Amino acid sequence: MSGQGRGLRLAGVAKSYGSVTALRQTDLTVEAGEFLTLLGPSGSGKTTLLNLVAGYVSPDEGQIFVDERDVTSVPARGRNIGMVFQNYALFPHFDVAGNIAYGLKVRGVSKAEIAERVSAVLALVQLDGYGGRAIQQLSGGQQQRVALARALVIEPDILLMDEPLGALDRQLRKIVQLELRRLHEAHRRTTIYVTHDQEEALILSDRVAVMHDARIIQIGTAAELYADPVDAFVAGFIGESNLLPARVIALSGGIAAVEVPGLRRELCARAAPGVAVGRSARLLIRPEHLQTDAAQGITGVVDQVVYLGELVAARVALETGGALWIRRVGDKVLVHGAKIEVGWAIEHLRVVAEASGGE
Amino acid sequence: MPSAAPLTARFVVNALAALVLGFLVLPMLAVIPAAFNQSSFITLPPTRLSWRWYEAFFADSEWMTSLANSIKVGSLATAISLVLGTSAALGLQRLGGRARLMLTGLILAPMVVPVIVTAIALYRSIIDIKMTGSLAAMAVGHALLALPLVVINVGVPLRALDPNWHLAAAGLGAGPWTIFRTITLPNIIPGIAAGAVFAAMTSFDEVVISVFLAGYQTKTLPVKMWETIRIEFTPVVAVAATLLLLLAVVLFLVVHLFTPRVAGASR
Repeated sequence: MSGQGRGLRLAGVAKSYGSVTALRQTDLTVEAGEFLTLLGPSGSGKTTLLNLVAGYVSPDEGQIFVDERDVTSVPARGRNIGMVFQNYALFPHFDVAGNIAYGLKVRGVSKAEIAERVSAVLALVQLDGYGGRAIQQLSGGQQQRVALARALVIEPDILLMDEPLGALDRQLRKIVQLELRRLHEAHRRTTIYVTHDQEEALILSDRVAVMHDARIIQIGTAAELYADPVDAFVAGFIGESNLLPARVIALSGGIAAVEVPGLRRELCARAAPGVAVGRSARLLIRPEHLQTDAAQGITGVVDQVVYLGELVAARVALETGGALWIRRVGDKVLVHGAKIEVGWAIEHLRVVAEASGGE
Repeated sequence: MPSAAPLTARFVVNALAALVLGFLVLPMLAVIPAAFNQSSFITLPPTRLSWRWYEAFFADSEWMTSLANSIKVGSLATAISLVLGTSAALGLQRLGGRARLMLTGLILAPMVVPVIVTAIALYRSIIDIKMTGSLAAMAVGHALLALPLVVINVGVPLRALDPNWHLAAAGLGAGPWTIFRTITLPNIIPGIAAGAVFAAMTSFDEVVISVFLAGYQTKTLPVKMWETIRIEFTPVVAVAATLLLLLAVVLFLVVHLFTPRVAGASR
């Protein structure tokens, strides 16, 4: 399906404020119609990247292309990019229709066409008949949808969203996430979405770019990031994880032999790039990959149990000195104080480098 | 927790508040009955009521001229200070830290510098450019005093603007002038209106600069009042005072009618 909207390309884009580096030299390509999420903790550079694409700040170096058009020096008003702000930034002195019509009025669209497009986009975000409401009369969720409608009505080449669900409660956030996913699947408008919520990123995105310390450290589909994280930061940020300190003894053909003090044994597992012999690394074991019925496991005692609805998470203190979190669906063995055997299949283990941030 | 306070304590507080308010307001209100006095001297309470001094005020061409002068100077001074003050407030908003602090101090200086000093400085400069006795010169002087009030009043709603509104409008395709007209201006109008009232009242009320700059034909109402009270002390001065008071009340009521729209919008 050919998407609405255009592709985006950043070439060596960087931005600093005085001595503070907001974004290190970054290359990034977003395909037309793709939904890309920038995921990272606050201060990791994701909002800076968004503001650079929007044209609200200009880069110190590098170029920004929308399709093949160089927009690096084009101001925000000339870029045709829709932005949804975290606080929505709705204009309080206009009603709902007035807010949505703003971008069309500025473009000199005729009154009749404005009315038509406003009511169409109101239907799209399921706010039919709300055009005459004052902004102050709307709930947070409704305001969020007006902000989205205001950005969509101008048919932007790229839609940018800066933590747009941050102000909503958890229940509503779930609903709106699915709604956004539905809208994107229906229209496939190029979208860049900023969040620090990994679950949200996984639900919404075609691809996720994990940001840390003013750079993109890994970009890929949710499955790729989950299965093959590039370092301990990504492993810890996407999904739940046990990251045991390890020392790399040997490395060959993408397989590393590591010594893991917490397990008091040596293991071989697939290694991520950046792992080097003699360097300290981390052994990644996902909690759901641990088994309680393995033949050659390690003995430990369950000392913490957390019920997560259909799942049970438990912390197992190993007799070798380490501890592992384990997640199982309806496993009756996981009760407080129980002595159990924990095992794993070797193909699920990964050796990853320490987080690269702060270098 | 006023309900928790003992009854007597509350009574004392209320009584004190009433006394202070009375002390502030009553001397001003006293001019109203004084203006209706039948006798030729200002006496309180008036012995017999009459419209006599109102007739005298409106029949006297000198009073009428001074009233017209005040209105002309007041309008011009308000216009000058509104344009300059609003621009200054907008400019200050864009400046960072230290520059903003220093320039704000400079613009607010007329509030701190004794008016007599400003008056003498102005007088000297106005002689140099040969504009003594002109209404325009007086309007410039009044605008100088009114400028800080406009900057302060416009600054309040300006600081309440969400900077993201500006970004959102720019992202939707609006240029700087369109953003000012459609986003900034509608949200700071109450501040501009309040600034206009303060500016107009400052001008109507101003004596010191006016005394220095006024010519024979360009006396403003307060200057004429000042001269009259030194020579004749008739209740006609009280009439002028009552009219000024009325103007102040009307202007503040008008501004009050402006503000609820915005207070409601930010709710």
